[in-house]
Amino acid sequence: SGSKSQQQHGMFGASDRRLVTSRTVELLRVLIGGTRWKNANELLTLLNGLGKELHSVGGFREPAIGNIVRRVMAAIREEVLSETKSSDTQQPSLQSILWAHPQVVLRQGSRHESFADNSPVDHDANLPPAFYETRPDLKQTIMEVIQEIMSDLEDMYKNINEQALSHIHTDEVILTCGKSKTIELFLKAAHAKKRNFQVVICEDAPHLGGHAMAKSLADAGIDAIVINDSATFAVMARINKVLLPAHAVLANGGLIAASGSNLVALAAKHNSVPVMCVTGIFKLCPMFPHEGQDTLQDLVSPASIIDYAEMSHKSVRQIEFINPVHDYIAPESINLYVTNVGTFQPSYIYRLLAENYHSDDWESFE
Amino acid sequence: MLKCFILVLKDVSPPQEEGDVRHYLVNRILKPSFQYWTTQCRPHAVSMGNAFSFVKQAIFSLERDMEWNDMLVVLEDTIVAYIRERIDFAARVIAEKAGEKIVDGDVVLTYGRSEAIAHLFKEAARTKDFRVIVVDSKPLLEGKNFVEQLRNAGLDCTYILMNALSYVMPEVTKVFLGTASLQSDGSMLSRVGTACVALAAHSKHIPVLVCGETYKITNRTQLESITNNEMGNPQDVMEGAENLRVINLLYDLTPATFISGIITEMGILPPSSVAVLLREMNPTNAQY
Repeated sequence: SGSKSQQQHGMFGASDRRLVTSRTVELLRVLIGGTRWKNANELLTLLNGLGKELHSVGGFREPAIGNIVRRVMAAIREEVLSETKSSDTQQPSLQSILWAHPQVVLRQGSRHESFADNSPVDHDANLPPAFYETRPDLKQTIMEVIQEIMSDLEDMYKNINEQALSHIHTDEVILTCGKSKTIELFLKAAHAKKRNFQVVICEDAPHLGGHAMAKSLADAGIDAIVINDSATFAVMARINKVLLPAHAVLANGGLIAASGSNLVALAAKHNSVPVMCVTGIFKLCPMFPHEGQDTLQDLVSPASIIDYAEMSHKSVRQIEFINPVHDYIAPESINLYVTNVGTFQPSYIYRLLAENYHSDDWESFE
Repeated sequence: MLKCFILVLKDVSPPQEEGDVRHYLVNRILKPSFQYWTTQCRPHAVSMGNAFSFVKQAIFSLERDMEWNDMLVVLEDTIVAYIRERIDFAARVIAEKAGEKIVDGDVVLTYGRSEAIAHLFKEAARTKDFRVIVVDSKPLLEGKNFVEQLRNAGLDCTYILMNALSYVMPEVTKVFLGTASLQSDGSMLSRVGTACVALAAHSKHIPVLVCGETYKITNRTQLESITNNEMGNPQDVMEGAENLRVINLLYDLTPATFISGIITEMGILPPSSVAVLLREMNPTNAQY
């Protein structure tokens, strides 16, 4: 699987990020299955440590690694709590029905004496007693939970593409920027269902991912047009819809996408063209854009902007070259997020966060 | 183009038939030359159209019964004066006026390469202390040589492609742009990508100043970029195929709302005043 791993470690959309994420889940499954843990608390501590370890290796470039570990942890918490509730005869309070917040945890009994074992309480000490029980069937249940997450990832494209026809209509002119497997499959799915539309692709200099994307779409029989990034505003008057791929979706509903996407989003907003982001939910990150354009940002070599040979000129060497990888797009510029779990507006993203991750795990694994 | 006209006039021999020599000059010499120019050398541009209108007007304002040679001499002088005043001198006046707008510590952004902007920055570099960010785009990459020139003039320069625009915009204080033509509603036609730069600046409330000589002002107006544009060689962008189309637009339209001020040799105006300036300059309203 040499070529596959090469694919995984590529950058700028050349890697299959969903594959990386599902491999991470597999790794977790192997580790959880192989390690000895007595109760859910120990398991969560284990996962927390694993999350830190994995994030320190690849998390900077791939925030989805941390996300999926958080997802697994949240699913485990949910599972443990739901088992407790089924055996619990206590009526749920009116408040809990009203808020239906998955973070609301019923605190019962005294927690500090209930664990006499020597497992270190690395994690939150406010876990309900259910997390400290040793149940024989817990491992089995956890494995099922993880399998569910795995199949969610496997079916991701299928679930996204099911919505293709409701978002792409006949004779529409759609604009997209750069290369993305998700968008490619989305458009091809709509085309396969006999929808007639045109796609305009920005070439996305300097990485030029748009060229490969255009070729792939054209080979599938889709009417594709390539333009340079500078023509984005010029053609926007004739565009009906903009589709953007995501690198990460932030807690405020903002989007981290390939650099150059913010210009596309701004131009679309000015021309009242709807902007849709098509992505898997595993890219949802529990972080806010406190650093503005520097959030999840990386500045890479300017080799794609200027030749090394030209740098030999004294004057050229004194010039500063900037080549960022990502752009931050404010939630006001995005109209819709199309994901494998449904379609949402940016203001709903915080709810998805609460449903997918537990707030105790939000702090990143740094 | 005007220099070519001067050469043409040098070679012209007086007409054989009777009739107004001026009409002969316009219809039989200049008009065909202009048509040849726009089909063989370079597609029609607003500034060229304005220059041609000017020459036509100059011919018709000559005395009807002037000596042939005198006519040619006067004509040549007029054309040379136009080049000197409306093109060269105007660029320098604009550089001076716009230079007053640059203050020490400014971070100034520009797009591609413009004569007027080149003058402006080189002049201002002598007395002011500021940084320049040059934004460039494929396939023309006009900014590459420009940024080297600016560096040689002693300025602190940064060079980026369009993708980094959102990243650098928070630190920019002013944007200076050049233009190919100024329309009567205040919008401008310029190198493709200028509209994106103006849009990004406008979204961050950064002033956008356009440097345009008055010979670029036109009465024509268009509402969006595609209705009237030039296309370059699509191969410059990417290798096409039968199932894949490539479009290489050369110009785009920047709406008047993005422009804070237009610096001409007549002064600094808001975009809404361009029509007024047009009226002032062409009271006879001769158009091409």
